[in-house]
Amino acid sequence: MTDEALAAPSPTAPSTRAPSLTGVFVRLKLSLLRNGLRQSPGRAVAYVASLVVGLLAAAGVVLGLTALRGNAHAGALAVLLTGLLTLGWAVMPLFFPSGDETLDPTRLVMLPLRPRPLIVSLLVASLVGVGPVFTLALVTGTVIMLAQGAAAAAVGVVALVLVVLVCVTLARAVATASVRLLTSRRGRDLAVLSGLFIALGSQGVNIAAQKLGRPDGLTVLEPLGAVLRWVPPASAMAAVDDAGRGSYGSAAVGLALTALALALLLWWWQRTLTALMTSPDSSTLQAVEKDSARRSGGGERGLARLLPDGRTGTVMLRTLRYAWRDPKSKMGWATALGVGLLVPVVSSLQGRGSIYTAFSASALLGMQMYNQFGQDTSAFWMVASTIATPRDAYEELRARAMTLALVAVPYVTLVVIGTAALIGPWSDFLEVYGLSLALLGALLATGALSSALFPYSIPSEGNKNIAPGQGAIAWFSLFGGLLVGAVLSAPMLGLTIWLHVAGLHGLLWVLLPVGAAYGTGVAELGLRVAAPRVAARLPEILVAVSKG
Amino acid sequence: MDSEPEQSGPVGRGDGAEGAADASPDGGRPPAVRIQGLWKKFGEQTAVSGIDLTLPAGRFIGLVGPNGAGKTTTLSMVTGLLRPDAGQVEIGGHDVWRDPVAVKSRIGVLPEGLRLFERLSGRELLGYTGRLRGLPGDEVDKRAGQLLEVLDLSGAQHKLVVDYSTGMRKKIGLAAALLHNPEILFLDEPFEGVDPVSAQTIRGVLERYTASGATVIFSSHVMELVESLCDWVAVIAAGKIRADGPLERVRGEAPSLHEAFLGLVGASGRGAGQNLDWLGGGAR
Repeated sequence: MTDEALAAPSPTAPSTRAPSLTGVFVRLKLSLLRNGLRQSPGRAVAYVASLVVGLLAAAGVVLGLTALRGNAHAGALAVLLTGLLTLGWAVMPLFFPSGDETLDPTRLVMLPLRPRPLIVSLLVASLVGVGPVFTLALVTGTVIMLAQGAAAAAVGVVALVLVVLVCVTLARAVATASVRLLTSRRGRDLAVLSGLFIALGSQGVNIAAQKLGRPDGLTVLEPLGAVLRWVPPASAMAAVDDAGRGSYGSAAVGLALTALALALLLWWWQRTLTALMTSPDSSTLQAVEKDSARRSGGGERGLARLLPDGRTGTVMLRTLRYAWRDPKSKMGWATALGVGLLVPVVSSLQGRGSIYTAFSASALLGMQMYNQFGQDTSAFWMVASTIATPRDAYEELRARAMTLALVAVPYVTLVVIGTAALIGPWSDFLEVYGLSLALLGALLATGALSSALFPYSIPSEGNKNIAPGQGAIAWFSLFGGLLVGAVLSAPMLGLTIWLHVAGLHGLLWVLLPVGAAYGTGVAELGLRVAAPRVAARLPEILVAVSKG
Repeated sequence: MDSEPEQSGPVGRGDGAEGAADASPDGGRPPAVRIQGLWKKFGEQTAVSGIDLTLPAGRFIGLVGPNGAGKTTTLSMVTGLLRPDAGQVEIGGHDVWRDPVAVKSRIGVLPEGLRLFERLSGRELLGYTGRLRGLPGDEVDKRAGQLLEVLDLSGAQHKLVVDYSTGMRKKIGLAAALLHNPEILFLDEPFEGVDPVSAQTIRGVLERYTASGATVIFSSHVMELVESLCDWVAVIAAGKIRADGPLERVRGEAPSLHEAFLGLVGASGRGAGQNLDWLGGGAR
């Protein structure tokens, strides 16, 4: 099918009129889709499942919106929904750059195509797919919710077409404009972090949905709706509402604004596409790029001077730099810091918090110690070739643990203080703080050991954190480690429970110094047990972390 | 040609003893590398099947062979990055697995197919490597500056290695391998994918390094390069050593090392194929 489609306009048959470009693109898209599904049954199942879920969700949304027909806030809701939908279309290509290869303009560079027919064909081809169908369903539901009367229904049909076209054009234009960024290293780094944005965004949506779900929740939308109703393509939706209420003037303005936006988007898309297809590729430009401004002079600067000499300071500096510069490390740190904070905050917002939720900070940061060498990827050979004795391995592991503690100890302190202040009671503060430090130490210890015994690869691109085939070892490492970490913290828990049961509440403060000392001790012990195993298993670790 | 293509068994090549005799009498210096009965299997596939090899110190040595011959596997095992299934490796008289302290400080390695810490700038990478090797900080910075200068990387020293081209990566890897002034340098395909200018730079540095009595052992499948650089060659194919010794001896009667190599690995006389008679300009 693909071959036929592409072979049809070939120069071998110049006498026959070439088939329309639009048809070629639509057929190309369909056959790519079909071939993709044929590649593996799993993919086909996933695709059909997403299709069914998408259609069900769309049906649900349409039903829900229809039910809201006549609601006083329907106008504001429609405007806001359209706004959110548009935002979704605008950011989608940034997160899933390779989502649609038929639309990748860089693949068309060598073909003799004119911009205007190309734009039309690409636009029509983009309308084929689950996303546009879902959007169509959603917008239809919104129109049904709003349209009161024949005039409004007529405006609604026009609005429907305009909104869908604006969404799709916007996505294509953004994708085209950012293709340089997305194919560069920085763009790929961004794509790795996209999972984090999605996770945080879904938390935001979750909280917003809870607020809206309350009685009278929809009134919150009114001020936002008042502004958004003039922003295309939401203005087209507002026009449906206006037409229903008889204000035909503002309805016309609303539609006109969206039509204008569509025209502007198409113009912008065509311009960027032409520029992209007629200027040199970024890989050519990169070679002459000027040296970046990352200057550190001769030696190390600033705070780096405060780090100790020798392997310890060197490894700490490298680990800290990676925490910021390597997307996977950054993602790990951001998740640990973010979720560690979110658990107490969300549980306190929901009003059923406990000061013990502060343990999440310790637990999540402590787990960063797991699979240390997997985080190095195959660059671990540089570490391996400088480790000759268990002492070297010990210093390497200790430096990594110290880097973690450098961030974790102040952070855990802040989270425990914050949780005590927000949720309370302060009387439990010292106890929870001491136990948190003990837990952190226990996780550093087990993390060091599992880094030595159960290393696995972390693929550096994409959202996966485990290389294929190493899932079991990763699970074993993390959950086994967590279990052992809990067992290692047991003496501290025992002491706490004993103090409570024996009624020695006046002595609970002891848990802070004892917890801190216990955490330090157990971490040190873990490093000492792990170090000779790292030194003895260097080639095995290197093989394990070099996959993927 | 002094070597026979047929092997008597997994261990023991006919000229092993002779090669060792040639290799050792270099002012009483122990050989740079002595390999005995080295084996490595990956699943069903045998990558290295019983290598015995002695490489003299102070030479520019080429390890040549076609793709998939076992060059990378052999070098990984020799440098302690991959554990062999069987066999012994000594570097400068020290066992790689039993005496890693003596070995790791004496060798520099540039592996193929393994990454560097790419999110560091070139200069930061050298600073990191040198300090891990236990060199004092200001000495590391001084040597790093000179290496960057000589390898023509000064302009890109503050750029992240991830943004380096292939040639620049090979050069920064070479700098990292040379930083602690090793006695023996192992380079796996140091010229693969490198532009002629960078290749010439790398060559210059290596020639200067061996002139001072140090040993370079590098793998390649570009015979012309090996012939012009090396004075000692080992030919490896299908996980076995086919020939080794001084360049002239391995080359033997053949007009070039290239011809000798094709004969050794049994690939000479294999034409371009008569089935492609339609290929060429003119008629379609």
